[in-house]
Amino acid sequence: MTDPSADDSQSPRTVLFVAGAGRSGTSTMAGLAKILGLHVPQPEVAADATNPRGFAEPQWVVDHHDRLLREAVVQVSDSRPQAWFDTGRISTREPERITTATWLEEHLTVAVERGGRPELVVKDPRLSWFLGLWRVASIRTGARPVFVTMLRPPAEVVGSKQTYYGNKLGSAHLAASWLNMLLHTERATRDSSGPGVGGRVFVRYADLLDDWTRVTMEVGERLQLQSVLHANSEQIRDGHRFVDPSLRRMTQTLDDLALPRRLHELVAETWTALDALAEPDGDSAAAHVTLDQLREAYSDLYAEAEAVSRSSVVHAEHRLRRGPGGPPPAPAGPAPEAAPAPSGVDRVPHGLRAAVPPSVRRGLRRVAGRQRPA
Amino acid sequence: MAAHAGATGIRNLEGHADFDITWPWTRPGGLRAGSTAVLRVKDEALSMPWVLPPLLRAMDHVLVVDNGSSDGTPEVTAAAAERAGLAHRLTQTSYPFAVARAGAEHRAVHELSVHSLSYFYNWCFAQVGTRYSFKWDGDMVLTAEGEASLADLAWQVGDVQSIIRVPRHGLYLDSRAPERGWLDLGLRNAEEWGFPIGPDFVFTKAFEWEVRTTPTPVLSIGLPHGLCVELKYLDGDEFAHWTDPASFATSHRNKRKRREWQVFNALLDGTVPEGVHEIRAPAGVHVVDHVTRTWLPRAPRPLQVGTVVTSDDQR
Repeated sequence: MTDPSADDSQSPRTVLFVAGAGRSGTSTMAGLAKILGLHVPQPEVAADATNPRGFAEPQWVVDHHDRLLREAVVQVSDSRPQAWFDTGRISTREPERITTATWLEEHLTVAVERGGRPELVVKDPRLSWFLGLWRVASIRTGARPVFVTMLRPPAEVVGSKQTYYGNKLGSAHLAASWLNMLLHTERATRDSSGPGVGGRVFVRYADLLDDWTRVTMEVGERLQLQSVLHANSEQIRDGHRFVDPSLRRMTQTLDDLALPRRLHELVAETWTALDALAEPDGDSAAAHVTLDQLREAYSDLYAEAEAVSRSSVVHAEHRLRRGPGGPPPAPAGPAPEAAPAPSGVDRVPHGLRAAVPPSVRRGLRRVAGRQRPA
Repeated sequence: MAAHAGATGIRNLEGHADFDITWPWTRPGGLRAGSTAVLRVKDEALSMPWVLPPLLRAMDHVLVVDNGSSDGTPEVTAAAAERAGLAHRLTQTSYPFAVARAGAEHRAVHELSVHSLSYFYNWCFAQVGTRYSFKWDGDMVLTAEGEASLADLAWQVGDVQSIIRVPRHGLYLDSRAPERGWLDLGLRNAEEWGFPIGPDFVFTKAFEWEVRTTPTPVLSIGLPHGLCVELKYLDGDEFAHWTDPASFATSHRNKRKRREWQVFNALLDGTVPEGVHEIRAPAGVHVVDHVTRTWLPRAPRPLQVGTVVTSDDQR
């Protein structure tokens, strides 16, 4: 811990990233960090009926992520494991790295100019998709990135999303998106001793609402957030005024979601594994092995589901091509999946492709008229 | 003929059955998720303490294949991994055959010979157990940003069949002055280092060295400049893996090697060529640490890199 009498502006540059699925208490965590002195870059997204106490989300970050997601053709709630490569690929682009680092530098400077410490809190439900981009921006600005991931039982998250955002996508899709988001957020923030890693903490939303002082101080200590460590009495009073235990209104269980059996099992096992990360010493090598296995199992499940439901995709493509009132697609033409596109086979996940015996693969290649490149 | 014609692997011409190649995707259990960096090294003891720690942190696994080192490279490698606390991510093995040097020597060797660069590479990558791989050299050091970038891509890539190109910049060192070095930003050079492990991506023979096969079309992404340096020792023999300078004297393919030859000899003569930055680290800090942890990560972006472009950078 730094000397309390030291000049605040001389504290190490730190950016607290609050990650996790939407409706998991990320706004409460980020709002508390703001109250305790971390700077939320302005302007913020305005409070609304879905979050009456405010989001503590910088508007620029939301707009930035929205644009990047559009470019990557990834949805906020996207259940595709490949979506991580799509957003990761966007994050390698130099112009995006420059834009993100420039914004971060500006607001680290503003935080100090306003008399505070160079400690920011950045939160957005889309954040997990771009953690790597922000880690790079932190390295470029000499800041220490630290991560809090909020945990809430998936049945409550799905229920809350269905209530507040309209039940348009169905519980299986929302549960799969939760799995994809949380399993990969854990991987993206996994600790190591390298640069660009300042530490991470997992926080249960229920614990935060139950006793925010204990949880927040633990976060401050583990992540060395000077603003939290040196918060004054009035800030703590404001924290009590801000936290409303009645915010957690969802009480449904996983059984209520009526998920397909394998998805149900994976969600239940993943929640158990993630929940354990919030325990003291829970973030262990053994826990990482379990989470790696669950991530792999989810990727396999998704690949199988994707392969089985290919007809639905083709049907949707036909309908889109047809458009409202447009002519039906020419029946004589080859179906898109049957077209001899040389890249078609490469879109089959490698795990599935590698499972096909080489002799069978060669036979298929002969049937398709494809030659192995010389 | 392409060496990868074998469905389950390839046998070498010399009949060394213990060094025949079995493709890893045909083994029982198949491949697991994640990325492995594969380093083929010979006498890299000086560099490994810088090369290994960031790579071990970024990758799920690192495989170091020693090819006849006489400077204690395997012992230094093991010690570096131990110091980093990541020895569990390292596997070391050795390949006992003399491998043809790039250039004329390589061209004269059949690709199914144990002495061929392409056979050697196929054998090395056949030891990989993950679905994605990074070819890496024993003198390539990731910067802080490079480490963060590869650490993300190493798991994000999943089953995606994409190549990843990583730019690198020569960092020339004088062992008598560890706080001083010369960073060559005069060359734009981004080679293909990341490849899926699978039947579409195996090694075969090119004119001066090996080349990895790819399906057509293939996805390829490039990382920004400033993420990796390649250590060059001014008092070492940096061109020992080439048959002779004539082997890289003329072709457009060998621009990078000619640039290295030019910079290396100019610095030995006391001249700093255009595009090369002389860098001095703070007292007590080695210039490799300074360049990779501070100088390059904090350098203004976009990084001002020269206009000499290698062929791989044009994909």
